[in-house]
Amino acid sequence: MTDAPARKVGIGRYWADLSLPFKGLVLVALPLVILIGSLGSLYIASDAEARAEDDVRRAFAIQRDIYQVHALLAEAASGVRGYLLTDQNRFLEPFYKAERELPLTLARLDEAIEDEGVRREFDRFLEITEQKQAGLDALIALARREGDRPARSDAVLSALVANKAVLDDLRSQIEEIQRQEGILLDTRRARVDTVRARFLALTAISAVVGLLGSLTAVFLFSTGIVRRVRMLQVNAEKLQAGEPLNPFPDERDEIGRLAKKVDHASELLRARERDLREGEERFRLVVEGVRDYGIFALDPEGNVTSWNTGAERIKGWRADEILGRFFGTFYPEETRDYLPEEILARARRDGTTEDEGWRMRKDGTRFWANVVVTALRDETGELRGFAKVTRDMTERKRAEEFLKLAREQAVAASAAKSEFLSRTSHELRTPMSAILGFAQVLELDREELSPTHQTSVDQILKAGRHLLSLINDLLDISSIEAGGAELKEEDLSLNDVLAEAYDLSGPILRAASLQYDLSLLPEDTKITGDRRRIVQVILNLASNAAKYNREGTSVQIIAEKTENQVRVHVLDDGNGVKEADVSRLFTPFDRLGRQKVKGVEGTGLGLALSKRLVESMGGEIGYAHRTDMSGGADFWFTLKVAQPSQTSGEAAQAQHTKESSEKA
Amino acid sequence: MTSIAVPYDQILQRRVLIIDDEEANLLLLETLLKREGYSQIHCLSDPSQAIAKLVEIEPHIILLDLMMPDIDGYQLLDAFRRHSRPDEFRPVLVLTADTTLQARRRALSLGAKDFVSKPFDVIEIALRISNLLETQILYERLRHGSEPAADAE
Repeated sequence: MTDAPARKVGIGRYWADLSLPFKGLVLVALPLVILIGSLGSLYIASDAEARAEDDVRRAFAIQRDIYQVHALLAEAASGVRGYLLTDQNRFLEPFYKAERELPLTLARLDEAIEDEGVRREFDRFLEITEQKQAGLDALIALARREGDRPARSDAVLSALVANKAVLDDLRSQIEEIQRQEGILLDTRRARVDTVRARFLALTAISAVVGLLGSLTAVFLFSTGIVRRVRMLQVNAEKLQAGEPLNPFPDERDEIGRLAKKVDHASELLRARERDLREGEERFRLVVEGVRDYGIFALDPEGNVTSWNTGAERIKGWRADEILGRFFGTFYPEETRDYLPEEILARARRDGTTEDEGWRMRKDGTRFWANVVVTALRDETGELRGFAKVTRDMTERKRAEEFLKLAREQAVAASAAKSEFLSRTSHELRTPMSAILGFAQVLELDREELSPTHQTSVDQILKAGRHLLSLINDLLDISSIEAGGAELKEEDLSLNDVLAEAYDLSGPILRAASLQYDLSLLPEDTKITGDRRRIVQVILNLASNAAKYNREGTSVQIIAEKTENQVRVHVLDDGNGVKEADVSRLFTPFDRLGRQKVKGVEGTGLGLALSKRLVESMGGEIGYAHRTDMSGGADFWFTLKVAQPSQTSGEAAQAQHTKESSEKA
Repeated sequence: MTSIAVPYDQILQRRVLIIDDEEANLLLLETLLKREGYSQIHCLSDPSQAIAKLVEIEPHIILLDLMMPDIDGYQLLDAFRRHSRPDEFRPVLVLTADTTLQARRRALSLGAKDFVSKPFDVIEIALRISNLLETQILYERLRHGSEPAADAE
């Protein structure tokens, strides 16, 4: 991730970290507060204006009342003068009216006047008013005393003059009050104007402040939220497009956290994409690098869409030559028309299919291919193409054919060898049959023969029998080597076989005056082999012991069991075999020079035949000097211990149980 | 060499047919049987004449070699079996230099009554032949009541 822009400091930082609901609240509250403020100022301004206008009205009312006082007094004075002239009471009517109304008007004035200056003038005015009333009262009283006379006394006249002076004073006082009230009115009017002007100014300021406040709030909103939401949107689009994200301010409100999450998600996504890409890259490299397998892909129509090294090696086409071409190109003419489609159909139907057959290289040569075709489907199950793995099995095919031929030849050779052995056997035995037969017939009538002829017949029989046993052993060895000897694989009781061999060989050893013993295993063991052949081997070894040992020698057959084999020893305490001769013991016809030993007969094939018999039953045969005695020979061979039946676990178990119970 | 039930003379009266392509073997068996006292011994070295000889002399027992050129003993065994009557007991003793188990099994399964490997012990052969003939005589006695089978020749 790239560096985040430097974190804001102060208010901006504080604002940025506020939660979205709080920011919204501020955004809505700010203009409202400003509106309420301007409404308050409007109220204050209109109140002040109302009070100023009230003052003006009061000033006018004061002026009016003052004129009324003056008018009442003037009319009362004029009425009094009329009364003085006419003595008619009806002229006193204004005077009485003034007497009634003056106190009310004056009380009103007293209440209305607030200004200190005017109040002083008003007090003087009251004084003069009372003086005037008093003057008028006095005048009326004078007149009533004088009575009905045409001319008035001087007292009345002087009172009249005095009254006139008072009225003048009153008028001048009224003018004074009027003047002062006029000044007051002007002042108050000016104040009203001032208040109105202030109100206007205040409203204008409120409007400006409100507007600015709203703008500020919107600005903050747009910078704090809208702008970042847009950035986030841009980042989301980049995320979608898989491009690296723009750095985002490190802020802690919901958008900031959302942005962090988006950022985190993008990192995860990038990491996954990277892993995926690396995995794909590795896979691609592996696939491309495989040389022994041609691995390539087909589109749903069967055109080649990818190609690896192995495919190039096997088929001879380079990737740029084959990409986009139909894969039927690889098939030889005789199958090209139907097999490619058939294989794709099988893959479509079964998911995967295998085929083996001839394919063609670019140069037209053929190879025997093993092909596995797999249908590739996406998660909706729609066919996206095929993967094809081809192996060049030509070598194997050739090897198989070679092996088959070799096997056939071996079988034929074996049959031929068996046939040869059978014929040889027949050809050798047939004359032997005549020789031995006639010699026997002669021997039957030996009394009629001269002693010389008797000896001749004996020699013929002896040599003939020797030749016959030689032929038998030789044919035996040959048939084993030819693989034609039928060796059975039967499970046998070792002790039974040893006892049989002991019984059969007993007469030979006893005839040679040897001591002969058999030690059976305390626990009998099942062995695998051919009964007749095992007995034959023991007979060979025992008769060898009889042939090459002095009278009185002790011969012993013992067996020992190891884990999976049994070792049978034929031991004697005679002279043993010379160290130099041991290696030649099992060589055919090598009788270690003992053919010269008088009275020792043998074909020289017994041990060689025994060796072949034991080996063909999977065992070993050998000779050791006895170390437990002063000397003597230890001829030994091994036999396989029978394996418990492996076809059925239960059978093996049963076998095991049986053996256990037998042991018990 | 004789059994209690059958007089040895009666056995020696029986007709024996020996089939072998080897003249030496024919001579050996003939010498041996003559020495034993058999009086009617017929030798045949050409196996193609076997059936004709069989019809001609109606032997009581056949000694047969297995390995012969042109027609081998197995074919002859098969032919003898086809020519035999159901109530007839005419033993065939196979003599062969082929000592394999297969040969033994095949010959016995084709109707041979006994099997002897060459070279053989002459005394053993003589005993086997007389045993087979004794069995044959006892068989005939069983079939014809207690009266001894009349031998015309």
